[in-house]
Amino acid sequence: MEPALETRELSVTFPSPAGPVRALDRVSLRVEPGQVFGFLGPNGAGKTTTMHVLLGFVQATAGEARVLGVDVRRAIARQRIGYLAEHPETYRFLTGRELLRLTGRLFRLRGAALRARVADVLAEVGLDNAAADRRIAAYSRGMLQRIGLAQALINDPDLLILDEPTGGLDPIGRLAIRRLIGRLRERGKTVFFSSHELSEVELVCDTAAILAGGCIVAQGPLRALARPGESLERCFMRVVGAPEEPA
Amino acid sequence: MTRAAVIAAIVWLELLRRKDIYVLLILLGALLAGLVSLNVFGLGGATAYVKDIGLLLAWLFGWILAVSATARELPQEETRGTIFSLLAKPLRRAELLAGKWLGCWSIVAAAALAFYAIVAAVALAKGAGFDAVALAQGFVLHLCALGVICALALCCSTRLNADAAAALTYVVSAACLLLAPRLPHLAAYASGFRFTALLALYHALPHFDLFDMRRRLVHDLGPLPWPVFGAVAAYGIVLTALFLLLAWTAYRRKRFSRGALGA
Repeated sequence: MEPALETRELSVTFPSPAGPVRALDRVSLRVEPGQVFGFLGPNGAGKTTTMHVLLGFVQATAGEARVLGVDVRRAIARQRIGYLAEHPETYRFLTGRELLRLTGRLFRLRGAALRARVADVLAEVGLDNAAADRRIAAYSRGMLQRIGLAQALINDPDLLILDEPTGGLDPIGRLAIRRLIGRLRERGKTVFFSSHELSEVELVCDTAAILAGGCIVAQGPLRALARPGESLERCFMRVVGAPEEPA
Repeated sequence: MTRAAVIAAIVWLELLRRKDIYVLLILLGALLAGLVSLNVFGLGGATAYVKDIGLLLAWLFGWILAVSATARELPQEETRGTIFSLLAKPLRRAELLAGKWLGCWSIVAAAALAFYAIVAAVALAKGAGFDAVALAQGFVLHLCALGVICALALCCSTRLNADAAAALTYVVSAACLLLAPRLPHLAAYASGFRFTALLALYHALPHFDLFDMRRRLVHDLGPLPWPVFGAVAAYGIVLTALFLLLAWTAYRRKRFSRGALGA
Protein backbone atom coordinates (compact mmCIF):
# COMPACT_ATOMS: atom_id res chain seq x y z
CA MET A 1 0.00 0.00 0.00
CA GLU A 2 1.21 3.49 -0.83
CA PRO A 3 2.25 5.47 2.28
CA ALA A 4 0.19 8.51 3.25
CA LEU A 5 3.38 10.47 3.70
CA GLU A 6 6.94 9.64 2.77
CA THR A 7 10.20 11.54 2.77
CA ARG A 8 13.49 10.18 1.47
CA GLU A 9 16.82 11.65 2.50
CA LEU A 10 15.22 15.06 2.84
CA SER A 11 17.68 17.89 3.49
CA VAL A 12 17.09 21.62 3.85
CA THR A 13 19.82 24.23 4.17
CA PHE A 14 19.02 27.87 4.92
CA PRO A 15 21.43 30.66 4.08
CA SER A 16 22.36 32.87 7.04
CA PRO A 17 24.90 35.67 7.65
CA ALA A 18 27.02 33.21 9.66
CA GLY A 19 26.99 30.67 6.81
CA PRO A 20 24.55 28.00 5.67
CA VAL A 21 22.41 26.42 8.40
CA ARG A 22 21.42 22.81 7.90
CA ALA A 23 17.85 22.64 9.20
CA LEU A 24 17.15 19.08 8.04
CA ASP A 25 19.73 16.39 7.37
CA ARG A 26 18.64 13.35 5.33
CA VAL A 27 15.28 12.93 7.04
CA SER A 28 13.45 9.77 5.96
CA LEU A 29 9.93 9.21 7.25
CA ARG A 30 7.16 6.84 6.31
CA VAL A 31 3.62 7.24 7.61
CA GLU A 32 1.09 4.56 6.69
CA PRO A 33 -2.56 5.36 5.90
CA GLY A 34 -4.74 5.44 9.01
CA GLN A 35 -1.84 6.02 11.40
CA VAL A 36 -1.74 8.73 14.04
CA PHE A 37 1.91 9.71 13.84
CA GLY A 38 3.62 11.84 16.49
CA PHE A 39 6.50 14.02 15.34
CA LEU A 40 8.61 14.95 18.34
CA GLY A 41 11.72 16.92 18.98
CA PRO A 42 13.16 19.74 21.05
CA ASN A 43 12.86 23.37 19.95
CA GLY A 44 14.90 24.02 16.81
CA ALA A 45 15.00 20.33 15.84
CA GLY A 46 13.37 20.98 12.44
CA LYS A 47 9.79 19.78 13.01
CA THR A 48 8.14 22.87 11.53
CA THR A 49 10.66 22.95 8.68
CA THR A 50 9.73 19.36 7.82
CA MET A 51 6.05 20.30 7.82
CA HIS A 52 6.77 23.36 5.69
CA VAL A 53 8.54 21.18 3.12
CA LEU A 54 5.56 18.78 3.11
CA LEU A 55 3.24 21.73 2.42
CA GLY A 56 5.43 23.31 -0.25
CA PHE A 57 6.34 26.49 1.70
CA VAL A 58 10.02 25.52 1.67
CA GLN A 59 11.85 23.74 -1.13
CA ALA A 60 14.07 20.85 -0.07
CA THR A 61 17.76 21.25 -0.87
CA ALA A 62 18.03 17.50 -1.47
CA GLY A 63 15.86 14.41 -1.24
CA GLU A 64 12.17 14.02 -2.01
CA ALA A 65 8.83 14.12 -0.25
CA ARG A 66 5.47 12.73 -1.32
CA VAL A 67 2.06 12.99 0.29
CA LEU A 68 -0.70 10.57 -0.73
CA GLY A 69 1.51 9.52 -3.63
CA VAL A 70 2.00 13.03 -5.07
CA ASP A 71 5.20 15.08 -5.08
CA VAL A 72 4.79 17.88 -2.52
CA ARG A 73 6.02 20.49 -5.01
CA ARG A 74 2.75 20.13 -6.94
CA ALA A 75 -0.23 22.19 -5.74
CA ILE A 76 -2.56 19.24 -6.33
CA ALA A 77 -0.73 17.37 -3.53
CA ARG A 78 -2.59 19.61 -1.09
CA GLN A 79 -6.06 18.75 -2.40
CA ARG A 80 -6.50 15.97 0.20
CA ILE A 81 -4.49 17.53 3.03
CA GLY A 82 -5.69 19.54 6.00
CA TYR A 83 -3.22 21.75 7.88
CA LEU A 84 -3.35 23.53 11.20
CA ALA A 85 -0.43 25.88 11.87
CA GLU A 86 1.22 26.24 15.27
CA HIS A 87 -0.27 29.71 15.65
CA PRO A 88 -3.49 29.47 13.64
CA GLU A 89 -3.66 33.00 12.29
CA THR A 90 -6.48 33.78 9.95
CA TYR A 91 -8.47 36.65 8.44
CA ARG A 92 -9.86 38.40 11.47
CA PHE A 93 -12.13 40.65 9.41
CA LEU A 94 -14.18 37.60 8.34
CA THR A 95 -16.76 35.72 10.36
CA GLY A 96 -16.02 32.07 11.06
CA ARG A 97 -18.68 30.96 8.59
CA GLU A 98 -17.35 33.26 5.84
CA LEU A 99 -13.85 31.88 6.37
CA LEU A 100 -15.08 28.30 6.04
CA ARG A 101 -17.14 29.07 2.92
CA LEU A 102 -14.22 30.80 1.21
CA THR A 103 -11.83 28.00 2.24
CA GLY A 104 -14.28 25.42 0.90
CA ARG A 105 -14.37 27.24 -2.43
CA LEU A 106 -10.58 26.90 -2.67
CA PHE A 107 -11.29 23.15 -2.71
CA ARG A 108 -13.98 23.71 -5.35
CA LEU A 109 -16.87 22.93 -2.99
CA ARG A 110 -20.11 24.64 -4.08
CA GLY A 111 -23.72 25.34 -3.13
CA ALA A 112 -25.56 22.88 -0.91
CA ALA A 113 -22.54 20.59 -0.56
CA LEU A 114 -20.48 23.51 0.75
CA ARG A 115 -23.19 24.66 3.17
CA ALA A 116 -23.58 21.12 4.49
CA ARG A 117 -19.83 20.69 4.88
CA VAL A 118 -19.53 24.02 6.76
CA ALA A 119 -22.29 22.92 9.14
CA ASP A 120 -20.58 19.54 9.64
CA VAL A 121 -17.16 20.94 10.47
CA LEU A 122 -18.63 23.58 12.78
CA ALA A 123 -20.37 20.79 14.67
CA GLU A 124 -17.19 18.68 14.58
CA VAL A 125 -15.09 21.36 16.29
CA GLY A 126 -17.88 22.48 18.62
CA LEU A 127 -18.56 26.01 17.35
CA ASP A 128 -22.23 27.03 17.51
CA ASN A 129 -24.04 29.24 14.99
CA ALA A 130 -23.69 32.40 17.09
CA ALA A 131 -19.92 31.96 17.26
CA ALA A 132 -19.73 31.07 13.55
CA ASP A 133 -21.46 34.31 12.60
CA ARG A 134 -19.19 36.47 14.75
CA ARG A 135 -16.05 38.19 13.41
CA ILE A 136 -12.93 36.11 14.10
CA ALA A 137 -11.34 39.23 15.65
CA ALA A 138 -13.62 38.61 18.63
CA TYR A 139 -12.60 34.96 19.10
CA SER A 140 -10.72 33.64 22.15
CA ARG A 141 -7.52 31.56 21.78
CA GLY A 142 -9.50 28.33 22.05
CA MET A 143 -12.05 29.46 19.46
CA LEU A 144 -9.23 30.46 17.09
CA GLN A 145 -7.85 26.94 17.42
CA ARG A 146 -11.29 25.51 16.69
CA ILE A 147 -11.90 27.63 13.60
CA GLY A 148 -8.36 26.78 12.46
CA LEU A 149 -9.18 23.10 12.83
CA ALA A 150 -12.51 23.59 11.06
CA GLN A 151 -10.79 25.15 8.02
CA ALA A 152 -8.25 22.30 8.06
CA LEU A 153 -11.12 19.79 7.93
CA ILE A 154 -13.32 21.55 5.35
CA ASN A 155 -12.13 19.31 2.48
CA ASP A 156 -12.58 16.11 4.53
CA PRO A 157 -8.81 15.49 4.21
CA ASP A 158 -7.22 12.05 4.09
CA LEU A 159 -4.10 13.42 5.76
CA LEU A 160 -4.21 15.99 8.54
CA ILE A 161 -1.00 17.82 9.44
CA LEU A 162 -1.17 19.47 12.84
CA ASP A 163 1.64 21.64 14.18
CA GLU A 164 1.46 21.76 17.99
CA PRO A 165 -2.34 21.49 17.99
CA THR A 166 -2.68 21.55 21.77
CA GLY A 167 -0.21 24.38 22.43
CA GLY A 168 -1.73 27.09 24.62
CA LEU A 169 -5.01 25.25 25.11
CA ASP A 170 -6.66 24.56 28.45
CA PRO A 171 -7.37 20.92 29.50
CA ILE A 172 -10.86 21.06 27.99
CA GLY A 173 -9.45 22.24 24.66
CA ARG A 174 -6.81 19.51 24.72
CA LEU A 175 -9.41 16.86 25.43
CA ALA A 176 -11.49 18.14 22.50
CA ILE A 177 -8.48 17.84 20.17
CA ARG A 178 -7.73 14.31 21.45
CA ARG A 179 -11.33 13.27 20.85
CA LEU A 180 -11.26 14.77 17.38
CA ILE A 181 -8.08 12.88 16.51
CA GLY A 182 -9.73 9.71 17.85
CA ARG A 183 -12.75 10.24 15.60
CA LEU A 184 -10.51 10.85 12.59
CA ARG A 185 -8.60 7.65 13.34
CA GLU A 186 -11.89 5.71 13.47
CA ARG A 187 -12.72 7.07 9.99
CA GLY A 188 -9.39 5.82 8.66
CA LYS A 189 -7.76 9.25 8.34
CA THR A 190 -4.03 9.75 8.75
CA VAL A 191 -2.89 12.32 11.31
CA PHE A 192 0.67 13.65 11.40
CA PHE A 193 1.23 15.95 14.31
CA SER A 194 4.08 17.61 16.09
CA SER A 195 3.96 18.20 19.80
CA HIS A 196 6.03 18.98 22.86
CA GLU A 197 3.36 17.35 25.00
CA LEU A 198 4.70 13.83 25.39
CA SER A 199 1.69 12.82 27.48
CA GLU A 200 -0.58 13.83 24.58
CA VAL A 201 1.51 11.80 22.16
CA GLU A 202 1.32 8.73 24.43
CA LEU A 203 -2.45 9.07 24.55
CA VAL A 204 -3.20 9.41 20.83
CA CYS A 205 -0.30 8.11 18.72
CA ASP A 206 0.43 4.68 17.26
CA THR A 207 3.82 5.60 15.90
CA ALA A 208 6.30 8.41 16.41
CA ALA A 209 9.55 9.81 15.16
CA ILE A 210 11.96 11.88 17.21
CA LEU A 211 13.96 14.60 15.51
CA ALA A 212 17.07 16.24 16.98
CA GLY A 213 19.43 18.64 15.26
CA GLY A 214 17.64 18.11 11.94
CA CYS A 215 18.14 14.29 12.02
CA ILE A 216 15.73 11.48 12.83
CA VAL A 217 17.17 9.86 15.96
CA ALA A 218 14.36 7.38 16.63
CA GLN A 219 11.32 6.17 14.69
CA GLY A 220 8.83 3.36 15.12
CA PRO A 221 5.76 2.14 17.00
CA LEU A 222 5.42 3.94 20.30
CA ARG A 223 5.78 0.74 22.33
CA ALA A 224 9.02 -0.15 20.57
CA LEU A 225 10.64 3.26 21.03
CA ALA A 226 11.02 3.08 24.79
CA ARG A 227 12.96 0.39 26.61
CA PRO A 228 11.02 -1.90 28.96
CA GLY A 229 9.89 0.13 31.95
CA GLU A 230 11.02 3.41 30.39
CA SER A 231 8.58 6.31 30.06
CA LEU A 232 8.29 8.17 26.74
CA GLU A 233 9.69 11.27 28.44
CA ARG A 234 12.80 9.43 29.60
CA CYS A 235 13.15 7.79 26.20
CA PHE A 236 12.89 11.24 24.56
CA MET A 237 15.59 12.67 26.87
CA ARG A 238 17.85 9.72 26.11
CA VAL A 239 17.58 9.82 22.32
CA VAL A 240 17.93 13.59 21.98
CA GLY A 241 20.93 13.52 24.30
CA ALA A 242 19.44 15.83 26.96
CA PRO A 243 21.32 15.87 30.29
CA GLU A 244 19.95 13.37 32.80
CA GLU A 245 18.03 14.70 35.79
CA PRO A 246 20.05 14.15 39.00
CA ALA A 247 18.67 11.28 41.07
CA MET B 1 -15.64 30.46 -8.93
CA THR B 2 -11.96 29.91 -9.67
CA ARG B 3 -9.42 29.97 -6.87
CA ALA B 4 -8.12 33.36 -8.02
CA ALA B 5 -11.68 34.72 -7.74
CA VAL B 6 -11.89 33.39 -4.15
CA ILE B 7 -8.71 35.29 -3.28
CA ALA B 8 -10.18 38.39 -4.97
CA ALA B 9 -13.35 38.00 -2.88
CA ILE B 10 -11.25 37.96 0.31
CA VAL B 11 -9.50 41.16 -0.82
CA TRP B 12 -12.90 42.80 -1.44
CA LEU B 13 -14.21 41.86 1.99
CA GLU B 14 -11.05 43.13 3.64
CA LEU B 15 -10.98 46.48 1.83
CA LEU B 16 -14.70 47.09 2.27
CA ARG B 17 -14.43 46.40 6.00
CA ARG B 18 -11.32 48.56 6.42
CA LYS B 19 -13.28 51.61 5.20
CA ASP B 20 -10.42 53.44 3.38
CA ILE B 21 -12.61 53.72 0.29
CA TYR B 22 -15.48 55.40 2.12
CA VAL B 23 -13.10 57.98 3.55
CA LEU B 24 -11.79 58.86 0.08
CA LEU B 25 -15.32 59.00 -1.36
CA ILE B 26 -16.50 61.35 1.40
CA LEU B 27 -13.35 63.46 1.01
CA LEU B 28 -13.82 63.77 -2.76
CA GLY B 29 -17.49 64.71 -2.37
CA ALA B 30 -16.68 67.24 0.37
CA LEU B 31 -13.82 68.83 -1.60
CA LEU B 32 -15.91 69.19 -4.75
CA ALA B 33 -18.96 70.44 -2.86
CA GLY B 34 -16.76 73.00 -1.11
CA LEU B 35 -15.18 74.03 -4.41
CA VAL B 36 -18.55 74.59 -6.04
CA SER B 37 -20.30 76.30 -3.16
CA LEU B 38 -17.47 78.58 -1.97
CA ASN B 39 -16.75 80.13 -5.40
CA VAL B 40 -12.98 79.81 -4.85
CA PHE B 41 -10.77 82.12 -6.96
CA GLY B 42 -13.87 84.09 -8.01
CA LEU B 43 -14.57 81.59 -10.79
CA GLY B 44 -18.29 81.36 -10.17
CA GLY B 45 -19.21 81.50 -13.83
CA ALA B 46 -16.49 79.11 -15.06
CA THR B 47 -17.18 75.39 -15.13
CA ALA B 48 -14.04 73.82 -16.60
CA TYR B 49 -12.16 74.11 -13.32
CA VAL B 50 -14.77 71.89 -11.60
CA LYS B 51 -14.14 69.17 -14.19
CA ASP B 52 -10.39 69.75 -14.06
CA ILE B 53 -10.05 69.57 -10.28
CA GLY B 54 -12.64 66.80 -10.00
CA LEU B 55 -10.82 64.57 -12.49
CA LEU B 56 -7.46 65.41 -10.90
CA LEU B 57 -8.82 64.29 -7.51
CA ALA B 58 -10.30 61.13 -9.07
CA TRP B 59 -6.86 60.30 -10.51
CA LEU B 60 -5.06 61.20 -7.29
CA PHE B 61 -7.40 59.20 -5.04
CA GLY B 62 -7.46 56.24 -7.43
CA TRP B 63 -3.65 56.22 -7.46
CA ILE B 64 -3.41 56.40 -3.64
CA LEU B 65 -5.99 53.65 -3.22
CA ALA B 66 -4.40 51.37 -5.84
CA VAL B 67 -0.91 51.65 -4.35
CA SER B 68 -1.87 51.52 -0.67
CA ALA B 69 -4.28 48.60 -1.11
CA THR B 70 -2.11 46.46 -3.36
CA ALA B 71 1.32 47.04 -1.82
CA ARG B 72 0.27 45.63 1.55
CA GLU B 73 -1.66 42.56 0.39
CA LEU B 74 1.24 40.07 0.08
CA PRO B 75 3.45 41.42 2.91
CA GLN B 76 0.59 41.35 5.41
CA GLU B 77 -0.20 37.74 4.48
CA GLU B 78 3.34 36.95 5.64
CA THR B 79 3.46 39.17 8.73
CA ARG B 80 0.16 37.89 10.12
CA GLY B 81 1.01 34.28 9.13
CA THR B 82 -2.09 33.68 6.99
CA ILE B 83 0.11 32.82 4.00
CA PHE B 84 0.72 29.42 5.60
CA SER B 85 -2.91 28.36 5.80
CA LEU B 86 -3.51 29.82 2.33
CA LEU B 87 -0.66 28.01 0.59
CA ALA B 88 -1.54 24.80 2.43
CA LYS B 89 -4.55 24.68 0.08
CA PRO B 90 -4.29 23.48 -3.53
CA LEU B 91 -3.62 27.05 -4.61
CA ARG B 92 -0.83 27.86 -7.06
CA ARG B 93 1.23 30.93 -6.35
CA ALA B 94 0.26 32.24 -9.79
CA GLU B 95 -3.41 31.95 -8.72
CA LEU B 96 -2.65 33.78 -5.48
CA LEU B 97 -0.98 36.65 -7.37
CA ALA B 98 -3.75 36.76 -9.98
CA GLY B 99 -6.38 36.81 -7.23
CA LYS B 100 -4.65 39.57 -5.31
CA TRP B 101 -4.30 41.70 -8.43
CA LEU B 102 -7.87 41.03 -9.53
CA GLY B 103 -9.26 41.85 -6.08
CA CYS B 104 -7.29 45.08 -5.71
CA TRP B 105 -7.82 46.29 -9.26
CA SER B 106 -11.55 45.51 -9.30
CA ILE B 107 -12.25 47.28 -6.02
CA VAL B 108 -10.15 50.28 -7.06
CA ALA B 109 -12.07 50.26 -10.36
CA ALA B 110 -15.37 50.27 -8.46
CA ALA B 111 -14.11 53.16 -6.32
CA ALA B 112 -12.97 55.00 -9.48
CA LEU B 113 -16.45 54.55 -10.95
CA ALA B 114 -17.88 56.16 -7.83
CA PHE B 115 -15.30 58.99 -8.07
CA TYR B 116 -16.29 59.64 -11.71
CA ALA B 117 -19.98 59.54 -10.79
CA ILE B 118 -19.41 62.17 -8.08
CA VAL B 119 -17.35 64.36 -10.44
CA ALA B 120 -19.95 64.05 -13.22
CA ALA B 121 -22.78 64.83 -10.80
CA VAL B 122 -21.04 67.89 -9.39
CA ALA B 123 -20.08 69.10 -12.88
CA LEU B 124 -23.68 68.65 -14.06
CA ALA B 125 -24.95 70.53 -11.04
CA LYS B 126 -22.60 73.34 -12.03
CA GLY B 127 -23.97 73.25 -15.57
CA ALA B 128 -20.93 71.57 -17.15
CA GLY B 129 -21.55 68.41 -19.11
CA PHE B 130 -19.18 65.70 -20.33
CA ASP B 131 -19.11 64.08 -23.75
CA ALA B 132 -20.45 60.64 -22.76
CA VAL B 133 -18.24 58.66 -25.17
CA ALA B 134 -15.12 60.63 -24.25
CA LEU B 135 -15.91 60.20 -20.55
CA ALA B 136 -16.35 56.44 -21.02
CA GLN B 137 -13.05 56.27 -22.92
CA GLY B 138 -11.31 58.33 -20.24
CA PHE B 139 -12.68 56.06 -17.54
CA VAL B 140 -11.59 52.86 -19.32
CA LEU B 141 -8.08 54.21 -19.91
CA HIS B 142 -7.95 55.30 -16.27
CA LEU B 143 -8.82 51.70 -15.33
CA CYS B 144 -5.96 50.52 -17.56
CA ALA B 145 -3.56 52.84 -15.72
CA LEU B 146 -4.86 51.57 -12.36
CA GLY B 147 -4.35 47.98 -13.54
CA VAL B 148 -0.72 48.73 -14.38
CA ILE B 149 -0.20 50.50 -11.02
CA CYS B 150 -1.75 47.56 -9.11
CA ALA B 151 0.49 45.10 -10.98
CA LEU B 152 3.56 47.27 -10.31
CA ALA B 153 2.73 47.50 -6.59
CA LEU B 154 2.14 43.74 -6.42
CA CYS B 155 5.45 43.14 -8.18
CA CYS B 156 7.32 45.36 -5.70
CA SER B 157 5.60 43.71 -2.72
CA THR B 158 6.76 40.20 -3.64
CA ARG B 159 10.21 41.01 -2.25
CA LEU B 160 9.72 44.17 -0.15
CA ASN B 161 7.71 44.95 2.96
CA ALA B 162 4.46 46.90 2.59
CA ASP B 163 5.92 50.36 3.29
CA ALA B 164 8.91 49.91 0.98
CA ALA B 165 6.75 48.46 -1.80
CA ALA B 166 4.26 51.35 -1.53
CA ALA B 167 7.04 53.98 -1.47
CA LEU B 168 8.78 52.44 -4.49
CA THR B 169 5.51 52.21 -6.43
CA TYR B 170 4.62 55.84 -5.65
CA VAL B 171 8.06 57.03 -6.76
CA VAL B 172 8.19 54.93 -9.94
CA SER B 173 4.62 55.65 -11.03
CA ALA B 174 4.92 59.39 -10.27
CA ALA B 175 8.23 59.54 -12.15
CA CYS B 176 6.66 57.72 -15.10
CA LEU B 177 3.68 60.06 -15.16
CA LEU B 178 5.59 63.31 -14.70
CA LEU B 179 9.10 62.65 -16.00
CA ALA B 180 8.70 60.21 -18.89
CA PRO B 181 6.86 62.64 -21.22
CA ARG B 182 9.66 65.21 -20.74
CA LEU B 183 12.54 62.88 -21.56
CA PRO B 184 12.55 63.67 -25.32
CA HIS B 185 12.92 67.39 -24.48
CA LEU B 186 15.87 66.58 -22.22
CA ALA B 187 17.32 64.32 -24.91
CA ALA B 188 17.17 67.20 -27.40
CA TYR B 189 19.79 69.02 -25.32
CA ALA B 190 21.99 65.94 -24.90
CA SER B 191 24.36 64.20 -27.26
CA GLY B 192 26.21 60.92 -27.64
CA PHE B 193 25.66 58.33 -24.91
CA ARG B 194 23.39 60.61 -22.82
CA PHE B 195 21.09 61.12 -25.81
CA THR B 196 20.87 57.36 -26.41
CA ALA B 197 20.39 56.62 -22.70
CA LEU B 198 17.59 59.19 -22.32
CA LEU B 199 15.79 57.89 -25.38
CA ALA B 200 16.20 54.28 -24.19
CA LEU B 201 14.77 55.31 -20.80
CA TYR B 202 11.88 57.07 -22.57
CA HIS B 203 10.97 53.89 -24.42
CA ALA B 204 11.55 51.59 -21.43
CA LEU B 205 9.45 53.47 -18.84
CA PRO B 206 5.70 52.88 -18.69
CA HIS B 207 3.87 55.87 -20.19
CA PHE B 208 1.04 56.59 -17.79
CA ASP B 209 0.52 59.90 -19.61
CA LEU B 210 -0.99 57.95 -22.53
CA PHE B 211 -3.90 56.86 -20.32
CA ASP B 212 -4.63 60.38 -19.13
CA MET B 213 -7.58 61.90 -21.05
CA ARG B 214 -8.28 64.65 -18.54
CA ARG B 215 -7.35 67.50 -20.92
CA ARG B 216 -9.63 66.16 -23.64
CA LEU B 217 -12.47 65.87 -21.13
CA VAL B 218 -11.95 69.29 -19.53
CA HIS B 219 -11.71 71.14 -22.83
CA ASP B 220 -14.42 69.09 -24.58
CA LEU B 221 -12.10 67.89 -27.36
CA GLY B 222 -14.27 64.83 -27.98
CA PRO B 223 -13.45 61.14 -27.93
CA LEU B 224 -10.22 59.55 -29.15
CA PRO B 225 -10.28 57.79 -32.52
CA TRP B 226 -11.12 54.15 -31.74
CA PRO B 227 -7.88 52.68 -33.17
CA VAL B 228 -5.86 54.99 -30.88
CA PHE B 229 -8.05 54.14 -27.91
CA GLY B 230 -7.66 50.40 -28.65
CA ALA B 231 -3.89 50.69 -29.00
CA VAL B 232 -3.54 52.52 -25.67
CA ALA B 233 -5.81 50.02 -23.92
CA ALA B 234 -3.77 47.14 -25.39
CA TYR B 235 -0.59 48.87 -24.19
CA GLY B 236 -2.06 48.92 -20.67
CA ILE B 237 -2.95 45.23 -20.83
CA VAL B 238 0.55 44.33 -22.04
CA LEU B 239 2.19 46.39 -19.26
CA THR B 240 -0.06 44.81 -16.63
CA ALA B 241 0.75 41.31 -17.92
CA LEU B 242 4.47 42.15 -17.92
CA PHE B 243 4.46 43.32 -14.28
CA LEU B 244 2.38 40.29 -13.22
CA LEU B 245 4.86 38.02 -14.98
CA LEU B 246 7.72 39.73 -13.14
CA ALA B 247 5.82 39.34 -9.86
CA TRP B 248 5.30 35.63 -10.50
CA THR B 249 9.00 35.16 -11.36
CA ALA B 250 9.96 36.77 -8.05
CA TYR B 251 7.32 34.93 -6.02
CA ARG B 252 7.16 31.42 -7.45
CA ARG B 253 10.09 30.05 -5.47
CA LYS B 254 9.97 32.39 -2.50
CA ARG B 255 10.58 30.54 0.76
CA PHE B 256 8.19 31.07 3.65
CA SER B 257 9.74 29.96 6.86
CA ARG B 258 8.48 32.11 9.72
CA GLY B 259 9.72 30.40 12.89
CA ALA B 260 11.00 27.44 10.94
CA LEU B 261 14.38 27.48 12.61
CA GLY B 262 12.90 28.10 15.99
CA ALA B 263 10.59 25.11 16.11
